[in-house]
Amino acid sequence: MKKILIIEDDLLISSLVQFRLKKDGYDTHLVSDGNEGMKAIDSYGPDLIITDVMMPFRSGIEIIHHARQCRPDTPIIVLSSLGEEEQVVLEAFNLGVADFIPKPFNPNELAIRVKRVLK
Amino acid sequence: MRKFLQRTLICILMMSCSFAWAQDQIIPEDSTEFRDFLILQKEVQGLSYRFYLLEKSISDSLAADSVYLFSKTDSGFISNSFSDFGMIQDLEKPLVEDSLNFRLDFVVFSQSVDQTAVREYLANLVRNGDYQVKFEEIKSSEDLVSLASRSPYSPFLKYKLKFVADYKLFGVTVVIVFFFVVALTMIVYMLIMKARKTKRENLQKEYDQLIVDPLTSLLFEKELDEIHDMEMQEIYQYFPQSYLGKPLYRDVLIDRIIGLNKKMKGEFKDKLKVLYKRLGLDKISAESLKNKNWDRVTEGLVQINEMDLVEALPEVKKHANSSNFHIRSQAVATLLNLSEKVDLAFLRDQTFPLSTWQQMSYLRIIKFVGQQKDLKLEILFDSANKSIRIFGYKLVRMLGRIDLIEVLSKKAMHVEEDEKIEILETYSVLGAHMEAEFVNQCLNSGSPNLVIAAAKAAGVIGNEESASILMGLLRKEVSFSEKLIYLRSLNELDKAEFEAFTQLNPDAQILEIRAHLLDPLLQHV
Repeated sequence: MKKILIIEDDLLISSLVQFRLKKDGYDTHLVSDGNEGMKAIDSYGPDLIITDVMMPFRSGIEIIHHARQCRPDTPIIVLSSLGEEEQVVLEAFNLGVADFIPKPFNPNELAIRVKRVLK
Repeated sequence: MRKFLQRTLICILMMSCSFAWAQDQIIPEDSTEFRDFLILQKEVQGLSYRFYLLEKSISDSLAADSVYLFSKTDSGFISNSFSDFGMIQDLEKPLVEDSLNFRLDFVVFSQSVDQTAVREYLANLVRNGDYQVKFEEIKSSEDLVSLASRSPYSPFLKYKLKFVADYKLFGVTVVIVFFFVVALTMIVYMLIMKARKTKRENLQKEYDQLIVDPLTSLLFEKELDEIHDMEMQEIYQYFPQSYLGKPLYRDVLIDRIIGLNKKMKGEFKDKLKVLYKRLGLDKISAESLKNKNWDRVTEGLVQINEMDLVEALPEVKKHANSSNFHIRSQAVATLLNLSEKVDLAFLRDQTFPLSTWQQMSYLRIIKFVGQQKDLKLEILFDSANKSIRIFGYKLVRMLGRIDLIEVLSKKAMHVEEDEKIEILETYSVLGAHMEAEFVNQCLNSGSPNLVIAAAKAAGVIGNEESASILMGLLRKEVSFSEKLIYLRSLNELDKAEFEAFTQLNPDAQILEIRAHLLDPLLQHV
């Protein structure tokens, strides 16, 4: 079973994403801030990371930096309301993220993208 | 300086004289009054008196009197010296009774002197401050005890406590106690508020947890139609009826659904909107428009806008001209967003001036709505509010509504100056060449701001007449910046005329501007 780490400070969004991904048979783990996210990358050993950009303590960009150093082969999907800000999207892609999903989003669309990335 | 010193000395002299004269006036001139004066003074340092009897012989008893202690002289008898003038009358009495011929002799420091010398001696003492003259006390004609008995008794010490009687101490204590009471009340109030806030936050967290799972599962388990047709009993299985009755739970539920609605798209958004209505939360949003607090009203308007509650629009319309900026802005935004057939009459009838922030916010919505609906912007030109009319002209420009140029053309001549400037800019952006006549009229207006706006527009939509007016303006005494605008417009309008004019008028500034305008590297600087 593939392991997916969801780093998102909005409880409702993270629960929705988790619910949808569990339906597809993934093992998911939720954390609600940047610090917890960094620790979970090391301890949980995910096959995919889904992260927000604006979060307490550490930003999504810092998490991507950390993940690139610890787990360079783990794909990352960024889920953010900063999707319209070109600078953020470019920085994320330069760091090698697999996909960028701007909010508002459709959880079903996210599930399809997850499936594609993990293939 | 000399004069000043002289005057000062004279003043001092006059003052000392008048002072001495005033002192002398205290001592009476009349001998009887002087005698009474001395009796009143009783004793004066260095001054005494004695009796001189002009008799050849006196009785043995008087001669042996131990008080007088008469001693014989060549012409009579002289008594011992007395210093207490208060005793004069008592001492005189036996002498008068015995019908003796006597006189009173004054002695100043063992030297016999007359009354004038005594007066001068006393005056000196008084002047030098060596003696304080005693005056007769004014005594009440009535007995003090009888006077006191007439007035009713009232105790001097009004209060039993000395502390209360001391009003200063009492005042300070009251102030200190007041501050202590206020501070204590504030602390208690803060503690109560903090406890309430903590309780509220804890409840919110608890409700958050209670809402997340049912909302998530409902959104994934049920289709849109299923949510629409759900029985209330079934809905209560997700969101218990007992909780739905609690205002805080409802507030948290509204916040979560609206928050999720902003971040979701597609079918999930529709599901959330249907669920919002099924839970009866739309009624709460509509109800909050009647709230007295402006923040609750604004919150309600945001909820109506987010959840597309079109049935609440008549109520929203009532707030479109609210005196509160936030309510007014949000109400107009909601009406623009939700109205099926956007009738901008509510915007036309606004009496409050539009801020730039409001214009930006409305423009964003109108731009979006304008792609789907037919907006009758022309009704904004008829507004009694100048800022709305100007916003209307801007909208024509921003939305590229060339079809409204004809409507604008009919109004343009009869509007105020700043409206004309806005219309000129709109014409210029939309390339309305048929309005060159209006541009020329504005160029001839004489109003500096309007002429500059018209000159800028002339560069794009002007004609031959515009070029000749621009050259006429350049021949007048104008500033460098104005020359630059006119020449730039002339260059854009007619290059041949520009060349001819600049060569015929080799003014240093004109040549400088010409070089700038024709230099391909400097053209956009």
